[in-house]
Amino acid sequence: MLAMSNPVPAQHPTSSATSADVADLYTEIFRQQATSLEVVSTGRLKQVGARPPIRQYIGQLWSRRHFLWAEARAKVTSGTRETVLGQAWMIINPILNGLAYYLIFGLILDTSRGIDNFLGYLVIGVFLFQFTTQCVTGGAKSIQSGRNLIRAFTFPRASLPISVVLRGLLNLAPTIAAMLLLIVLLPEDETWTTAALLFPLVLALQTLLATGITLFFARLTTVLPDLSQLISVGMRLWLYASAVFFSIDRFEQYPWITGLMEANPMYMVLDAARDCLLYATVPDVATWVGLASWSVGALVVGFLFFWQGEESYGRA
Amino acid sequence: MAELDQVDPFAHATVAVQDVHVRYRVPSTDAAERRRHTNPISRAARAVLGNDPKVLVRALSGISFVARSGEQIGLVGQNGSGKSTLLRIIAGLENPAKGKVLAESTPVLIGVNAALVPDLSGEENIRLGCLAMGLSPEQAEAAIPEVKELAGLGKSIFLPMKTYSSGMGARLRFAIATAANPHILLIDEALATGDAAFRERSEARMQGLRDGAGTVFLVSHAAQTIEETCTRAIWLNHGRLVLDGPAEDVALRYRKWAWAVAKDKPDEARTIIERAFAEREQTYVHVEEPKAPRQYNARHVRPQSAARRQDKGKS
Repeated sequence: MLAMSNPVPAQHPTSSATSADVADLYTEIFRQQATSLEVVSTGRLKQVGARPPIRQYIGQLWSRRHFLWAEARAKVTSGTRETVLGQAWMIINPILNGLAYYLIFGLILDTSRGIDNFLGYLVIGVFLFQFTTQCVTGGAKSIQSGRNLIRAFTFPRASLPISVVLRGLLNLAPTIAAMLLLIVLLPEDETWTTAALLFPLVLALQTLLATGITLFFARLTTVLPDLSQLISVGMRLWLYASAVFFSIDRFEQYPWITGLMEANPMYMVLDAARDCLLYATVPDVATWVGLASWSVGALVVGFLFFWQGEESYGRA
Repeated sequence: MAELDQVDPFAHATVAVQDVHVRYRVPSTDAAERRRHTNPISRAARAVLGNDPKVLVRALSGISFVARSGEQIGLVGQNGSGKSTLLRIIAGLENPAKGKVLAESTPVLIGVNAALVPDLSGEENIRLGCLAMGLSPEQAEAAIPEVKELAGLGKSIFLPMKTYSSGMGARLRFAIATAANPHILLIDEALATGDAAFRERSEARMQGLRDGAGTVFLVSHAAQTIEETCTRAIWLNHGRLVLDGPAEDVALRYRKWAWAVAKDKPDEARTIIERAFAEREQTYVHVEEPKAPRQYNARHVRPQSAARRQDKGKS
């Protein structure tokens, strides 16, 4: 039936279509309007908004490092800009926080929960965990809050979550200073050995871990905005699972709980930091290997995941 | 074909837009839309969650054109006709559902939401904007005085950007965006808010950009602005390209059409738009991959490893 309504023209296998035939076909198809054909070459023109290959992307990020730094620095001070004491709050705030813990746990409750130097234990746990919390919650909102910049300029979008981590680091510096000060000043004894020199390495691994998770959630919240409501709950659960307030020895009779907690990268970070700073022990090899693989793994997975969505962030 | 005489034979393509389609799925409070989805479960779920049914909006359909160096292209059309969407697509800030955009260099868009980082002062925003566009810190430092002068905000440049009026914000944004000397500049009604003195300065700046083989895109409702400043105009209506041609011709027809719409003469308006559709020259953009020249290496400059491999094969 099809053949009847559309008779197939006789074929001329020896002669190919002449240019006149092609022109006829062209006018037949586009009879409605005059047409013009523009030919452009991809040699000189490049597709805009296309996701660059990963190496080029990292190169672009590197060339924007000054932007990242400026963005992080500008945002750090903007939180305290309207206060009287201004940037001084960045160091006053953690000291007051630490003193509050001392007041409640050290003086009023007078508890140690079977932990040596419980105040130092607590302060390290709270302050270091706070950094990860800041990065993850800030990173999840980074695409949304950077919308003005995204709509104004073309730059690798990973700049925004990474600058959240940089901002967290800038906040962390005075926090660490306050933390060390409190550890020294509070009336509990600790021994300082060369193990404390390993602390920066712990911090570096924690930063890599935080960057990976931040990048991961930055994209995930653009796909599913509901997630930003869940992140604070998730971070709270993670806080309790990282033994910030108590010792892991509480769960000695449940080996599966201790096993889970010891596999938790933030527990490894806190444990290693406390070993270095409070208990004058070098963290064991298992902790280093576990933490390093978590950090590098999180960074690689988070970065690749974020990079794959590079074209989608303009709509956020 | 009259415009063929005006085309500069040495002008080269700077932006090519190839059959771009953009669609959005957005919630609608339209009651008719609510009734249309008759599945009671999904209706109940929407009622409980407080969500509105999603409708498909075709923001752009089948837009194709090629822009050349030295052109200032005006985009006209009523509100919601897709002008701003088209600019965002050209800037690469959004990706089309279908089709693609090619550009010679990174286009810089000046949007309506002018504040970059509202808490920072105008001066810090200049620095941040310059760095975001990829300038080095030294280049940014060097560009700041010029940007300040072009923006002409006086002492207000040291105040937080959230205290700026929309006109002041737009001026600063324009000044920042032109600091990097972009070859392709996209302006989204930003200059409409500037005063007469600033308008003159900004027009001089845009002329300078075009003289340097750049292309400027300008969105405006005012057909008069387009007529005065642009060399070419594109008329969009409901996401479709109505007419693409010399600015005077397109702007005149658009004004006639807008007048007919305003005077509630839908038949006349439809006649104008249909004539424009019929007379328009449909553009097809063909993207060609350049053929890499055949790699030929003379025997005596072959890499040593290749020669060694071949020698091994022989022996």
